[in-house]
Amino acid sequence: MARYIFRRLMSLIPVLLGVSVIVFFLVRLIPGSALQMYLGTQVEATPAQMEELKRIFGEDKPVPVLYVEWLGRLLHGDFGYSLRTGREVLPDILQRLPLSFELTILALAMSLLIGIPLGIAGAVKRNPVLDVLIRITGLLGLSLPQFWLASLMVIAFSGLKGFIPMGNYVPFFQAPLENLRMMLFPALAIGIGLAAVIMRYMRNSMLEVMQMDYIRTAEAKGLKRKVVIVRHALKNAILPVITVAGFNTGYLLGGAIVIEEVFALPGMGRLALYAIYQRDYSLIQGIVLIVATMFVLINLLTDLVYATIDPRIRLDVKKE
Amino acid sequence: MKKILHVTIAFVLVALAMPLGAQEKTLIIGVDQEAIGLDPHIVTSFSSHRRVDLLYNKLVRHDENLKIVPDLAESWDVPDNTTYIFNLRKGVKFHNGKEMTSEDVVFSLNRILDPKTAAPGRSYIASIKSIEALSPYRVKVTLSAPLASFLEGLTSNNCAIVSKAAVEQNGNLQKVEAGTGPFMLKEWIPDNSMTLVKNPDYFEKDLPYLDKVIFRVIPEQASLLAGVKAGTIDIAQINDGSTVLLAKRDSNLVVMQKPGINVRTFGFNVTRKPFDDVRVRDALSLAIDRNEIIAAAEFGMAQPTGPIPVGATQWALPLNKLPYYTPDLAKAKSLLAQAGFPNGFSFKIVCSNSFEGGLSVAQVVQNQLKKIGVNADLEVVEWGNYIDRWVKRDFDSMVELRGGSGEPDRFLYRTLYSTGGVNNFLFKDADVDKLLDKGRELTTFAERKPVYDSLQIALAEKAPVIFLYCPFETHVMNKTIKGFKQIGDGSLYFITEIQK
Amino acid sequence: MSRIFKNPIAVVGLGLILLYVAVIIISQFWLPFDPLQMDTANMLQPPSLKTGHVLGTDEFGRDILSRIMQGAGISLLISVSATAMGAVIGTFMGIWSGFLGGAWDQWIMRLADILFAFPSLLLAIFVMAILGEHTYNVIFAIGIVYIPQFARIARGAVLSVKNNEFIRASFSSGANKSYVLVRHLLPNIMMPIIVQSSLSLSVAILLESALSFLGMGVQPPYPSWGNMLSSARKVMMLAPWTAIYPGLAIMLLVLGFNLLGDGLRDIMDPRLRNVQ
Repeated sequence: MARYIFRRLMSLIPVLLGVSVIVFFLVRLIPGSALQMYLGTQVEATPAQMEELKRIFGEDKPVPVLYVEWLGRLLHGDFGYSLRTGREVLPDILQRLPLSFELTILALAMSLLIGIPLGIAGAVKRNPVLDVLIRITGLLGLSLPQFWLASLMVIAFSGLKGFIPMGNYVPFFQAPLENLRMMLFPALAIGIGLAAVIMRYMRNSMLEVMQMDYIRTAEAKGLKRKVVIVRHALKNAILPVITVAGFNTGYLLGGAIVIEEVFALPGMGRLALYAIYQRDYSLIQGIVLIVATMFVLINLLTDLVYATIDPRIRLDVKKE
Repeated sequence: MKKILHVTIAFVLVALAMPLGAQEKTLIIGVDQEAIGLDPHIVTSFSSHRRVDLLYNKLVRHDENLKIVPDLAESWDVPDNTTYIFNLRKGVKFHNGKEMTSEDVVFSLNRILDPKTAAPGRSYIASIKSIEALSPYRVKVTLSAPLASFLEGLTSNNCAIVSKAAVEQNGNLQKVEAGTGPFMLKEWIPDNSMTLVKNPDYFEKDLPYLDKVIFRVIPEQASLLAGVKAGTIDIAQINDGSTVLLAKRDSNLVVMQKPGINVRTFGFNVTRKPFDDVRVRDALSLAIDRNEIIAAAEFGMAQPTGPIPVGATQWALPLNKLPYYTPDLAKAKSLLAQAGFPNGFSFKIVCSNSFEGGLSVAQVVQNQLKKIGVNADLEVVEWGNYIDRWVKRDFDSMVELRGGSGEPDRFLYRTLYSTGGVNNFLFKDADVDKLLDKGRELTTFAERKPVYDSLQIALAEKAPVIFLYCPFETHVMNKTIKGFKQIGDGSLYFITEIQK
Repeated sequence: MSRIFKNPIAVVGLGLILLYVAVIIISQFWLPFDPLQMDTANMLQPPSLKTGHVLGTDEFGRDILSRIMQGAGISLLISVSATAMGAVIGTFMGIWSGFLGGAWDQWIMRLADILFAFPSLLLAIFVMAILGEHTYNVIFAIGIVYIPQFARIARGAVLSVKNNEFIRASFSSGANKSYVLVRHLLPNIMMPIIVQSSLSLSVAILLESALSFLGMGVQPPYPSWGNMLSSARKVMMLAPWTAIYPGLAIMLLVLGFNLLGDGLRDIMDPRLRNVQ
């Protein structure tokens, strides 16, 4: 197990290195530069001022040189400074993390709570009408554009006094109730779509498992159906659901850009979006790298959970 | 015994202070953007300027009608049109306790002029030849050439007076402050809030009335309004027209509006065909209906303007005196025909999907130009891209929001002089240059007024850029807020006079 | 094909998609109003049969129904082209990778891993920011997001059939590789690719609208459902209909693709049928 984890961790290095190269060069391919954004359209600068500014903004060297310098500093844990705010990048990113974590956890919890029971019900109740109904509801949930759902919530509820106080974000540990009140709808807007995904996987996986020989045998032996479902089937059927939930968690941590935008939440996604708009190179690089790291780590974690639940899976076999 | 008495007195004082402390008068301002630094000589963003409004003072400032009034300079003499002597207020203290003297003024102006500072305010006062402290309370500034808008330049936050000692101690003032302003920085939680407390030593007697001002960052117009409605915010500036409409429907709120000094423009790259032909530009000017643009793009919350922002009433000519500013489609078509485009032509408008980028304006303009057979394609670019195109002058035409000024020289010289720093229309015209030069050399209003009248007419005729309107500055506040006044330049100076 | 018609879910899905195709065809010849024509006297009119603006007007007085109808063509074009781009390039890369194995396989799959680690919307935003906002760049941006997904599926399918006995038999009987590829591999990997495509079609609609929503997709004045929602955001409190109907249009089409995809999967994988 330890060897496996070590090997997986090692294999992450080239991926993250690749991500860092791509993001570093991509942001500099975007027309316009941080310096231009800083000056805007109203400021006049003399040539001497421009030279000085270029030096300050690190636009006086070729990109590969800058990359190597940046990577060198990165290895010392220095993510650099934001060109826009002059602040260190890393604390600013880390400050956004709790919100993204909370949003992810809430959305995930909601989706599991809705998705798993419905998925199971669709699969085990021998009622075709119910099954089709659940499936169509699921597909409907999957088809709702998140940001549209979010906008509808804003339209519907913002009239209610004190509801969804957008943009007034308070951290959970500062005022838990107020925090939850404002996170409820964003989490729901994400959670509904995710619930639909989870439900589909749960249903399909459950159906597959229910038709396996050992379940049929158990049923034939006269075990109660409920016991069979909970004790035997569920344990195996939940595996693919974990994979899917893990995969989505990885993405959500990277920021639910549009949801954060609609509800004006200061999360990672919004930070990334504005960093791109502002050509804030160090900040973009930092965010993408941290998001990518979390993404691959969560996927690794999912695989480990998977293995713990189902010891039959040998980790050393490369899964395709 | 004496000691006990002291302690008792102290206790009584504390006890007395308690209820006062509980009634501390706090004003919460909702803003949609976090400040990017606080150093008045470096900041460019609107959000930073609004903090600087309350933390610093300048030598001179604007009153609510954009007239220049004393600030740190009690008075000034102008012996000739290149010499200014400022008499400073005595006993003004920086927030670090040091007294403000001519030394700080000389230091501040030199810091702005130093290319290493990369100060946006440098261009306002670049014609300074020398700065001299005549005494601790007298400063003499000599210009290399007459500059009628010199005082106007000094009203900018970018020309605020900072403490020499503080700069020497901190390097720059982006994260700390060292001003003389009515409020002092107490706490700053980036992307969340900034707390300012009353400066007890402020030089204006009894001001400010408030004890505390909190800036709360709420990056969404609708949320700002929701905050004012719910009472979690006392006052907010709101730019978005539809949100203002919603605010106006609420009888518990006060909505203050005034045309600002920013100018929405539709400008051409006059080196590109067909915009090198003045007849084409005039034709487009005639096809544009400012009132319709304001109705559709700004929910009616703006005032049509000519080359000088309409709020600067002493300078701005009424629109009906400006040629080509009253829509006339027939004349527009005949001009186009004369220029060789009887069937119109096609070109592109660069704009961006942000408030400054004027996407809605471009859409209405596009629609209006259709009526004279001119086909405009929109190039809607992301904001960073927009700036790139602006810097490279890579556009046929562009919709912009320009930072104007109530002082015509300040605004028009850099915008339209052949070598003007923000003349991205690449417009070169000897007559216009001559008028701009003349306007800056003369000193009295009576002498300058006819010059700028001719200039406004010339600019309307030559139309390198079509001036559209000045958006309203809108502040939405709770009914209980009294004493606030708007200044067209967006300054929050009158927060000092708010009573709550 | 006839099996599709026996599956109610697939039929409803197909029906919805055909409805949109019909709308697109009609919109080429007839629209209730000119979708680009502003009418500043009639800004933000609520839906009404009397004015003829059945779904109301937007902030420039343009007819929302006409804009939704015209937007359908643009949205569907983007969705189909982006999926086609991702499917063709991705499948080709996946087959190549799976078939050749070795160093190529390693490199291509690493690249796919790297692209996977980028959040897909962020990747698309990057591509849009670099290339500039044009409709065909939206296709490109979404297509790029799809490439690694198709590559993985194709590669997996290739690997699973590569060692089948009949393939080995063909190799040992001396058939040349490209013959085997075309004759035996393609039919085997087509099914998962088709299913993935139907999913991708729906996700592309959502991605396009999310991009346009953020102001980086289809450019005004041309309507796409996403940019209609984007501009509705400013006025939705005053005029909720500007936000409601374009979103409904997105949802129904995406639902159509999802239903069809689900139905297809049912047909191909009988184990997923609940009641036999």
